[in-house]
Amino acid sequence: MKMKKIFIFPLLFVLLFSSCYDLDIAPKNAITDEDLMTNDAGMDIYMARMYSYMPFEDFKYMAQWGITYRGWLGCFGISGTGEAVNRDGICRTFTSEDTPYWSGAFTLLRDANYLLETLPKFKDNFEEDMYNHYLGEAYYVRATVFTAMAKRFGGIPLVTKVIQYPADASDLEVPRSSEKDTWDQILADYDKAVELMKPTSPKSGYSNKYVALAFKSEAMLYAGSVAKYNETVTGHLTGLGQKTGVRVIGFADDEWEAASKKYFTEAYKAAKEVMNSHIYSLYKKDWKANDPEAQYQNMVDMFSDLSSPENIYVKEYSYPTTGHAIDGYSAPFIFRAPLSSGTCPTLDFIELFDGFNRYANGGIKVTDGNSNTEGNYLMYDTPMDFFKNAEPRLRAYVIFPGDEFKGKNIDIRFGVFTGSSPVKPLFSDYSYANATSSYYQNLSAYKNKPKTLYLSSNSGASQELVQYNGDTITASGENGPFYGNGESCITGLYLRKWLNKNPSFEAADGKSEQPFILMRYAEVLLNAAEAAVELSMAGVTSPDGDDLLQVATDAVNDIRERAGATLLTSNITSDNTGRDIVRKERRKELAFEHKTKWDLRRWRVLHYEGRDGFWGEERDKDIYSSNSNYRFRGLYPFFSTATGKYFFDEHFQAISLKTFSYSPLDYYFAIPSGEVSKSLVIDQQPNR
Amino acid sequence: MNITMKMKKMAIYSLFLGLLSFSSCNMFQIDNYDSPSETLQGEVVDVATGDPILTDQGSEGIRVRLTEVSYGDNVTPNPDFYCMSDGTFQNTKLFKATYNIRIDGPFIPLIREDESGVPIADETQTMKVKGTTKVKFEVQPFLKVEWVSEPTVSSGKITAKIRVSRGVSVADFQSKIEPMGNYSSSFVNVTDVQLFVSYSSSVGYRARDERWSSKIEYTGSAFNSLLGQTVTIQSTGTIPSGRTVFVRAASRINYDTPVGSGTRRWNYSEPMEVLIP
Repeated sequence: MKMKKIFIFPLLFVLLFSSCYDLDIAPKNAITDEDLMTNDAGMDIYMARMYSYMPFEDFKYMAQWGITYRGWLGCFGISGTGEAVNRDGICRTFTSEDTPYWSGAFTLLRDANYLLETLPKFKDNFEEDMYNHYLGEAYYVRATVFTAMAKRFGGIPLVTKVIQYPADASDLEVPRSSEKDTWDQILADYDKAVELMKPTSPKSGYSNKYVALAFKSEAMLYAGSVAKYNETVTGHLTGLGQKTGVRVIGFADDEWEAASKKYFTEAYKAAKEVMNSHIYSLYKKDWKANDPEAQYQNMVDMFSDLSSPENIYVKEYSYPTTGHAIDGYSAPFIFRAPLSSGTCPTLDFIELFDGFNRYANGGIKVTDGNSNTEGNYLMYDTPMDFFKNAEPRLRAYVIFPGDEFKGKNIDIRFGVFTGSSPVKPLFSDYSYANATSSYYQNLSAYKNKPKTLYLSSNSGASQELVQYNGDTITASGENGPFYGNGESCITGLYLRKWLNKNPSFEAADGKSEQPFILMRYAEVLLNAAEAAVELSMAGVTSPDGDDLLQVATDAVNDIRERAGATLLTSNITSDNTGRDIVRKERRKELAFEHKTKWDLRRWRVLHYEGRDGFWGEERDKDIYSSNSNYRFRGLYPFFSTATGKYFFDEHFQAISLKTFSYSPLDYYFAIPSGEVSKSLVIDQQPNR
Repeated sequence: MNITMKMKKMAIYSLFLGLLSFSSCNMFQIDNYDSPSETLQGEVVDVATGDPILTDQGSEGIRVRLTEVSYGDNVTPNPDFYCMSDGTFQNTKLFKATYNIRIDGPFIPLIREDESGVPIADETQTMKVKGTTKVKFEVQPFLKVEWVSEPTVSSGKITAKIRVSRGVSVADFQSKIEPMGNYSSSFVNVTDVQLFVSYSSSVGYRARDERWSSKIEYTGSAFNSLLGQTVTIQSTGTIPSGRTVFVRAASRINYDTPVGSGTRRWNYSEPMEVLIP
């Protein structure tokens, strides 16, 4: 009993005798404005925080997840853009993000707005140019956040001041602005950033005037395209918010044209200003004219060379604190650590590039007939012979079967054919509709006995063995494709771009530290070119007096020359054909950089009715589509024992087949429903 | 030994006491709110003929949106659901309450507003749902799709003869849609005719088999001369013999519902069963 009292007394003591001292000193563990905003070292910390929350799409971004800063499945181009596919559920059309970019955006906006409102109090602590630069950074951060949101949602709440809390609901709640006002605000913020920031970054990681200009041109190109190409979609993708009556998506019939011209003009001018500064140039350190090998090596090296004059803004990583996993997920099967084959480029993608024999319809030729169902397979001594004239840029982006990577031959072979030569196409029907029922392992040549086709369901002991010239060879290559293993090379092609090419590097989750180039000069050239053609088509006179079509032609040719591609021999024309030359170049050059999915979105070429323009050039969508659904193909090498040569088969993704789907609604993501239901002013998309 | 045990017990008791005294009393009450068990049954019919508006079950079909209006100012609609393919819908798990019922499909929109959001017409229905409540929507379908004759089969291909006619006249369509702004005479163009084939009796866009379903597309007003005429459409691929499949024809105009969604919804024929010999 006594023990009880012993307990109760201290309790009473604690509850009843509270302190009577006033604690009137600043808490030592809280960081104040004076700590951060009175000196450059403090500002470094403030900037570091803002930059760590930027909605950058780098190695730690995945379309399916959204802005979550997680990099353990590093891969590119798998969100229904046709660049690549893989086996996993993350290989899905970009129609929403698991974590919508909403609340995280407002946190960062607050940081930017707080800086804009508070730094003027400490103006005297800084040199004037640094003071201005810091303010410029805040505008740049704000513009970046607004752009990331506008690309996803259209009109957004334009929070341009620090909202004090607590306050009236009317002060706390900011409704969505119209899409037009949103892009106008973005334009104004970029312009402020350009005006205030230094021409060179004061420190590594900071931005500068030209970084802002480059991103401005990207954002304005998006805005101009949306204004123009919304008109190509039934219903024009516009409507008024139910709660506010504001045009939260799209543009009114009487304003889209002027808006589109204005944004394209801004995109053009911003890109031209970067070009005219002559600070940046295309990376050509190892480049040599008429030397495909040097041109290839040059484009391999440029993505990891931090001293590249092409880099405008780069994100760096370091192991063990901030590593990523592009090598841990997207390297070839033989380098599996712990995963592999996360980015398998498609046949449809490589069809964009020069250096292949073609059928009349533009498809890459694999038989001597008029299509891939006719004639006999073309035979090659080695798989690389098939690619011997391929555009050097493609070889720098994609590992071909039999090419070298990390000191090893990348052995890719779907199977071995032991039947007689010449070899007829393995299937009679390669159509989209037949893709789900015509797999190699279902062929009678494989199933019947004696069989003439050998395939493997997996690596190692599962490999089927074939006698050839007194030797025993495996049916499939070291990297597959293995029809029972989605972690093998499921399209016959691998990604090379971004992968660590050092043979001594051993990949693992989070061990990769290659830098990611968020903005490079090639994109600026392409932004200028595309805006120029669009302006020319809209009948706008050149904003700077330069010949618009000449600017576009030169930009495309500069990029093609560096890439080792065929140069344009005549000027780009002011029509859809001319525009498509620029679009196709962009799709090629900027592949596997998280950019293409936004390009397809702003061109409005993802839904079925617009899908003929999906590839940047006109291609018949019905070859790979069925209404809203679409699929991509692989290029599968086979070895023929009768000839000792290789042949290639073109087939819809034969392992882990992905069917993508897109409808016009997806051009604007839904506002997170929780945000709509808890707010009296936040509108859902009116067309949903 | 004994004492320390006691101390421990005491400590745990006082901890519990603390926790309990701070927690809400509601914690101990049973949720006595009635479970949602009211039923709403609806049908969508052609105002001119009384025929049901046939559709597809899925987000390209007729969408039903319920909004409980008694709840307050800022109501988020219930999760959408879709009509069954025969043009009826049913929800058996609703709370007893007043709902606004809105449907969107291949017919003249029930809610029509002009460009600045000023209401022109609102033909949605608001009613108290209690027990089993029935609702009927009489709408003007864009098109009517009918079989002209039984589909025929030859070497694994189905040939169907169908007739597509307007459910609402061009003049009537224009008088209702034009005030909504941005009107274009291309809205009434028939853009495509589809033949959906499936093993499933609920055949439609969503349940189609891509191997055999086919379509004919028309540009501009090319279909106008075929309105009311017999259109012949054939399936693609080869359907294995000895199987029974279901077919449906569908057609749509160049107008999206709800406006701005870009979703152009089809009007459908009845499904038909076809034996592949």
